[in-house]
Amino acid sequence: MALKKTAKNMNKTKATHMAVDMKNGSAISIRDDFRGKHLVVTGVTGFLGKVWLSMVLDRLPELKRVTLLIRPKKGEDAYARFERIFEASPAFRPLRDKLGQGIRSLIADKVRVVDAQVTKPWCGLGEEKAREMMADVDVVVHFAGLTDFEPDPQHSVEANIHGAAHAADLASIAKHARYVHVSTTFVAGLQDGEVAEEITPGVGPTGVTFDPHEELKKLEHNMVQGELKQERVDAVTAQAVSLGWPNIYTFSKGLSEHLIALREDVTTTTFRPAIVECARSYPFRGWNEGINTSGPIVWLLSTAFQRLPARASNKFDVVPVDTVARAMILVTAASLRDEAKEVYQCGSSHANPFTFRRAVELNALTFRGIYDKSEDKTEKNLLRYLDPTTVDPDVEQVFGHARVRKVARATRNFIRKVDVKETLSKKQYSRWGERFDKKLRSFSMDCRSTDRKLGKVDDMLKQYRPFIYDLDYVFRTDHLVDETAALSEADREEFGFMLDYCWREYWMKTQIPGLERWSIPLLKNEKIYDDVPLPKPNDTQDLTREAAMILEESKNRDSKNRGQRASA
Amino acid sequence: MKTAAFFRVEGTLLPRPAITTAAWLAANAQGIGERLARLGNVALAAPFAIAGELAAGDAAARVTWMGIRNMTEDRLVVLCEEFFEKYVEDDLEEVGLDLLKQAKKQGRRVVLISDNIDLVIQPLADKLGADDVICNRLEIRNSKATGRLEDPVLGGGVAGQWARGFASEVGIDLEQSFVYGATAADSLLMSAIGQPCAVNPDRRLRRIAKAHDWPVVEA
Repeated sequence: MALKKTAKNMNKTKATHMAVDMKNGSAISIRDDFRGKHLVVTGVTGFLGKVWLSMVLDRLPELKRVTLLIRPKKGEDAYARFERIFEASPAFRPLRDKLGQGIRSLIADKVRVVDAQVTKPWCGLGEEKAREMMADVDVVVHFAGLTDFEPDPQHSVEANIHGAAHAADLASIAKHARYVHVSTTFVAGLQDGEVAEEITPGVGPTGVTFDPHEELKKLEHNMVQGELKQERVDAVTAQAVSLGWPNIYTFSKGLSEHLIALREDVTTTTFRPAIVECARSYPFRGWNEGINTSGPIVWLLSTAFQRLPARASNKFDVVPVDTVARAMILVTAASLRDEAKEVYQCGSSHANPFTFRRAVELNALTFRGIYDKSEDKTEKNLLRYLDPTTVDPDVEQVFGHARVRKVARATRNFIRKVDVKETLSKKQYSRWGERFDKKLRSFSMDCRSTDRKLGKVDDMLKQYRPFIYDLDYVFRTDHLVDETAALSEADREEFGFMLDYCWREYWMKTQIPGLERWSIPLLKNEKIYDDVPLPKPNDTQDLTREAAMILEESKNRDSKNRGQRASA
Repeated sequence: MKTAAFFRVEGTLLPRPAITTAAWLAANAQGIGERLARLGNVALAAPFAIAGELAAGDAAARVTWMGIRNMTEDRLVVLCEEFFEKYVEDDLEEVGLDLLKQAKKQGRRVVLISDNIDLVIQPLADKLGADDVICNRLEIRNSKATGRLEDPVLGGGVAGQWARGFASEVGIDLEQSFVYGATAADSLLMSAIGQPCAVNPDRRLRRIAKAHDWPVVEA
């Protein structure tokens, strides 16, 4: 603990120096911070990790190397998984557009991919190999984690607690023992209001004191209690709530932060993003991946169920993924300078708050435009004129999903009891009994499908409830603002934490179109395809030569641009 | 000294009065109850509109826009964009457009005057390449319309006063400038400028134009 305090004081002193430097006019250069550095990164197959890596490779040619720890999956080794990402993922589109086949030599030059598994000690590498790999590493950046709100607790503990500990173990054997840990702002748990950028190990969000190691033991005991998943979920959720966290996700992330903060063998910088959403401009406007927090909400409001059980005045803390990736670059740079603060939060509720009331209204206005051009008569003549609104989740709405679900279930139960043969006379049955029976069964199936779909919606809304109704957070982001202020003007444009955008523009022109293209189809069980993969090189030698030339040209162009910016 | 061509938008370029914009916005408010309440509020302005601006002064404009009190800025911006696309952009008076083209060709400064709101009129000015716009502006506080208009409120004799002030400020020879109006309410504005012209005039303006020997242009 004493060592930890010293490290904190050291950071404070350096932060003061930074402020003095700013007064003297010497701005910080992110490029200098990354020059010749070697990073080890986990979780680059995830949404944020991909965008961050692509941005780093695109904008920081000074970087020496990135070692990626990737889990082999479904018969694919780590490199094959990563190859698929850089060849076809939309996150790497800017690099493919810029370099073409040259991206291969950029990857060959800068990236090393290692088969690893963060849930295993030494990330599955073995101590010897890990020590060898970490010899010249400057920082470990840990993105990997499980973001499901209510997973099987075992998976959550493995990924979010043990995974983080193993990544920190790797950092601890590197020369500088720097560790950047990606968490979430929602570790603020059941205590809402203004959330400071700090952590006090052993004190939960609501002020409950606990021993993190003891709680981990208790958690490991609870997570195997009961044969059914729900029993295990209930046991762990009860433990989470007693310590001040509303669900397994925030508990596992929160406990992990506390355990790592107690470690004296690494200098940890914790980065807490809020709700990461569609990109504003990088890799391109609107890009998103998978089903995230706002996708189901936006989809629900676009259907006939126009009631969102949320508190209108609560903040909806959404941040575009590229804004988060830029902020992560800032934080990594600060860690590389040994000037990083202990915690950085990355959200919008402090600098540019956005409320559920506004989100719901902008949703209505966007879909109004979409439905106006629709060929579907229900959309054009009915849904277009309906306005969604926020409602109290404890009051059952007349046309709310809960009521419709009840009706669907009751109808199905009633139909199941109906025996058409007995109800109708013989004459009636012989005339149209079979047809009627068939129709009735088909309607019963529709009712079951509606019941199931709405059940999923209900579960989702229950999981979201703490964050959209019960709790209203304001996540302070002063540390990122300070880092941005210390940057040179050119770097601020490229890497600064900027939230000065208009929510109307973002929500209507970026977020909803982005979700419609990249996320909502998944909710409808439709497939979303990546880009057309980059063709495999036919003549490796020629291609390598060509790629090297393109890379060289790109480097020259970058240095020329930098020169122009510097002289400007 | 430069000359200008002043166009009173309602009647010369647009076939509809400003109250239709307010009514349409009210009819597209959030929720059915709110829509009805707002429409009722806008309807209160109807007697003032019928009485005409000369009799009612700027009261008609003030009462008209009270109906959208507390509507969010987001909704106003988006709905006005839709209103412009559906009911303004492709529904302009041919005769007015010809006069505007002619004025530009002759090198006159084109000034649009309207008692509609800037969210509708500014895109029109951009589309037509007008040099200046004077129109009503909604007062917005905490991202919501207060239901009040910012000064100066266009209506009654204000347009004429504004035209004189504008001419002396930017150095325009009012005597050699042109003005196009369509209703009797525009007569004060028209008599303040040297070369008035009635475009598709209503009955009262036609009478005034005849009495003053002003030219009349009809579609």
